[in-house]
Amino acid sequence: MRGNLIASAIVVVLLIVAPYLAPLIHLDISILSEVLIMAVAAMSVNLMLGYTGMLAFGNAAFFGLGAYGVGLSIKYYDVHFIVAILIGIVAAVIGALIIGPFLLRRRGIYFALLMVAFGQVFYFIAYRFTDVTGGEDGMNFPRPYFGVGAWHVTLKDQSFYYLMLVIFVAVLVAMWYLIRSPFGRTLIAIRQNELRVRYLGLNTDRFIFVALLISASMAGLAGALYSLLIMFAFPLMLDWHQSGDFILMVILGGAGTLWGPLIGSIVYVVGKDIISTITPAWQIFLGGLFVACVLAFPKGLLGTTLDLIGKRRTPLEEELSVVGSLESSQAK
Amino acid sequence: MFEHVAPELFNGLILGGFYAVVAIGLSLIMNLTGTVNMAHGSFLTLGGYLAFTLVARGTSFWVALLIAPLLTVIVGIAVERSMMVPLYRRDPVYSLLLTFGLSLMAEEAFRLIWGSRGLPFSPPPELAGGITLGFMQFPTFRLFIVVVLAVALGGLALFLLRTRFGLRLRAAVQDTEMIAALGTNTQILYMVNFGLGIFLAGLAGVLAAVMFQLSPTTGNQLLMPAFVTVIVGGMGSLYGALAGGILIGLAISLVTLYIPAASEVAMYILMAIVLLVRPRGLFGEEGIFG
Amino acid sequence: MKDPSLTRERFIQGTAAGAASLAFGVPAFVPRRSEAADMVIIGVAEPYSGVYAAYGESETRGAQAAIDAWNKKGGVMGRKVAMSKEDEQSDPGVGVQKARKLVNQDKAVALMGTVSSAVSLSITGAANALGTLFIDSGGHTDDVTGKSCKWNTFRVCHSTWMETHATGSTLAHKFGKKWYLITPDYAFGHALSTGYQDVAAKIGATIVHEDLTPLGTTDFSPYLTKVLPAKPDVLLILPQGDDFINCVKQANQFGILKKIAAGGPQVELEAVWALPPEARVGFWGMEWYYKGTTVFGAGNTVAQQWVAEYRKKYGTPPTARSFFGYTAMDRILWGINEAKSTDSVKISKVLEGAHFQSPLLDTTAFFRKEDHQLMWPMWTGTIRPNGTPEDKYDIFDLIDKQPALAIEQTVTEKAAVCKMNYPS
Repeated sequence: MRGNLIASAIVVVLLIVAPYLAPLIHLDISILSEVLIMAVAAMSVNLMLGYTGMLAFGNAAFFGLGAYGVGLSIKYYDVHFIVAILIGIVAAVIGALIIGPFLLRRRGIYFALLMVAFGQVFYFIAYRFTDVTGGEDGMNFPRPYFGVGAWHVTLKDQSFYYLMLVIFVAVLVAMWYLIRSPFGRTLIAIRQNELRVRYLGLNTDRFIFVALLISASMAGLAGALYSLLIMFAFPLMLDWHQSGDFILMVILGGAGTLWGPLIGSIVYVVGKDIISTITPAWQIFLGGLFVACVLAFPKGLLGTTLDLIGKRRTPLEEELSVVGSLESSQAK
Repeated sequence: MFEHVAPELFNGLILGGFYAVVAIGLSLIMNLTGTVNMAHGSFLTLGGYLAFTLVARGTSFWVALLIAPLLTVIVGIAVERSMMVPLYRRDPVYSLLLTFGLSLMAEEAFRLIWGSRGLPFSPPPELAGGITLGFMQFPTFRLFIVVVLAVALGGLALFLLRTRFGLRLRAAVQDTEMIAALGTNTQILYMVNFGLGIFLAGLAGVLAAVMFQLSPTTGNQLLMPAFVTVIVGGMGSLYGALAGGILIGLAISLVTLYIPAASEVAMYILMAIVLLVRPRGLFGEEGIFG
Repeated sequence: MKDPSLTRERFIQGTAAGAASLAFGVPAFVPRRSEAADMVIIGVAEPYSGVYAAYGESETRGAQAAIDAWNKKGGVMGRKVAMSKEDEQSDPGVGVQKARKLVNQDKAVALMGTVSSAVSLSITGAANALGTLFIDSGGHTDDVTGKSCKWNTFRVCHSTWMETHATGSTLAHKFGKKWYLITPDYAFGHALSTGYQDVAAKIGATIVHEDLTPLGTTDFSPYLTKVLPAKPDVLLILPQGDDFINCVKQANQFGILKKIAAGGPQVELEAVWALPPEARVGFWGMEWYYKGTTVFGAGNTVAQQWVAEYRKKYGTPPTARSFFGYTAMDRILWGINEAKSTDSVKISKVLEGAHFQSPLLDTTAFFRKEDHQLMWPMWTGTIRPNGTPEDKYDIFDLIDKQPALAIEQTVTEKAAVCKMNYPS
């Protein structure tokens, strides 16, 4: 436990000083913000995939709803930063409330494909209603002031990043508590064997639904923040390829680990930025990363590292450890 | 009104045939090994590109139509043996991600080899004309597609239903362990099965390259409809893939006729309805994925 | 006895540090472009991957030619010029991040580029926040010089409005006033449709029918089978890119192109070269062509030489995209030199309204002050299936030329939507 805390503290310190280190190696601060934002999105997928064992292949829908919630409210109602983010999260949660009851009826790959299907419907809506959303041209909007009333400040690159860091740490801590709570442990039990949980008298549908809502709100938060980062919203944010990117980050870092999504996000976002500067054939490397990860590191970088050092886990951590448990014997 | 509907339905039939052939290929692979092949579209595109290159170097179109899919199969089997075999026992999410990654690499590779612009691929002169149906000309090539696909599917059916090997394949889908215990080399089964699926993809790819266009993303455009077809028709059933494909093709063409704006979404809504009402699909078997 | 947990802790810390340094350290080994501190860096954000890669490449080649030309003359303000390229991947988010990287890390003093309209819009916003000049070389959406206009954004290529108005009146004049529209059901298609409706209203043409084709349509037969029964004079094919190729190919397969005229707002050579010969028909707009006395004037040896050099270097002739890239870069460098400064406000002020004679045009052009749209003519013509005996790439016959002022919205119309807010 102490080891965990120290390692976590080190990571947080690194994140705090990152803006000063990044330019030394030719990275822009805005990329660092993107890393943290994508980490939050990856965490939303991790909650479903890593902890609850659901193939969440449609979180981009919530991500995009968050982004458009922000964009539309700023463009048409000129709201403040915080209000815009809240609207984005609410939009994502509403999306989850609408499609959730449909998704709950199925599991496994059917669940995944249903999610993709609904996600694509949102995508087409954003694409088609050009007058409102700008269609494939997207929607640009200015970054509003951050603050309430008289006290407000325009967030520039560095201050924006530190706000992202605060939000990221808050979400991470929330995840930590969530996973250790009875609710979280029920999710893990569902991942391991849903039928058994049902036999114990629990309504697994309800647990999964709440998990979906939480996941949607996190993805919506990430989408809202991303659109504020780039001051733009566009339909491809809702597309299933975006969902695929989130899943890659989770798998890359290590599904079912707390820090896995961040590791995955760092490797993906920074890697993509650097490699695309070097060569236009960056997609080969991205695809190669997928392939290498699946073949050689199914437990992700973090999971594999933890395994390699033979980290002795407390019984609780053993229970919480999911790596390898994607092949669970849950009733599908 | 009828003169609008009839040609439209025929078009729907052809499009449906395309979806069916691609879906059957996907289904073959999924049924036996549980692999969700997100790279299926890439094999389609590869078939198209290989045919184009062969024709550009002087091969006749008819020969290319046969050889390009075979070459694609060789590539496919190489990929299968090297990367997919370890994933056969695991959760489908792994093969999904692996093949997704492969499709990204393939798309870029196509761009590097053949360029990012589309390539002009036209049918041979014998097939280039049209047949007049009333006031409208109907492309001969589309009728040719129907013939080719029918022959391919007929051949597949013969193989599966009438040969010993086909029998073993069907048995393996039901119970792989048992058939291995009875002495069949399951690795050969996996290999041939995958090859069959890829052959259909490559064949569809050549036809698609002519009917649509030949670019790095040609195959991917047909992939989503093919997945929808598999779901609607029923996972685990080849008849389902065939029926599902025709159904989807007809449905899309009818929706396009009356509510064009909804035609793209219609496919997904149809899939969602099927998944909710009868998740196994029209002809599917209960319990494959649940 | 060693405390095992201490060793494990160190291991974790070591791994974390290792991973972090790997993630952050790799760029240190990336060779930096433009090490010389006294070079002027211009940022170029184009798609080098994805469906628009060919266009991005053409624009970049043109831009490089402009840089070479200026460096031969000694550079700008006595300093050599270099380009810093980034792949925006046709993704608006990536475009914004790369724009920031170019300005903040590569120290680019100005930006140019883009093909996709969405990316030009997103970079417009980002460049504005950075206070950096951005010349949109290839994004066509009207909004860039319309409701999303900015004091620091200029655009070289024709707007969507200009495209429809250049082709519309000539189409009616040559072929007839009954039009059938196949319109892609997204922003670009809608804009084209609005443009053509405006032209039709002005010249008395009628749109007998319009079909909106949804995103991702690969099979246009449902729409094509309805065309001939409606008896139009002209079929306007508005889809672009791969959809354009599909639609024209299938229209040809259905025999439509033999019976009625087909046309549209524009074609790009890169797309036409991908069409099979029998589908190379129709009447289209052409933003710039590498041959022709109506384009750069008779006896313009400078232009001819430019074309020949480009062709020798890259194997294919320059396209309109090459012209866009060249002009954008050329104007940036001229602006810097003229303003004797790399301050974007000064450069913008100098650029707007300044008439210039491009070596690749026979008329002068200028960026209009009110909306920063480059005002230059647009050509229309027909495709020739097989090129000429000497040149298989020469597949376009120029027929008509429209001056800019005839085809773009008036200053008053634009001023209603475009508000340039210069920083005070």
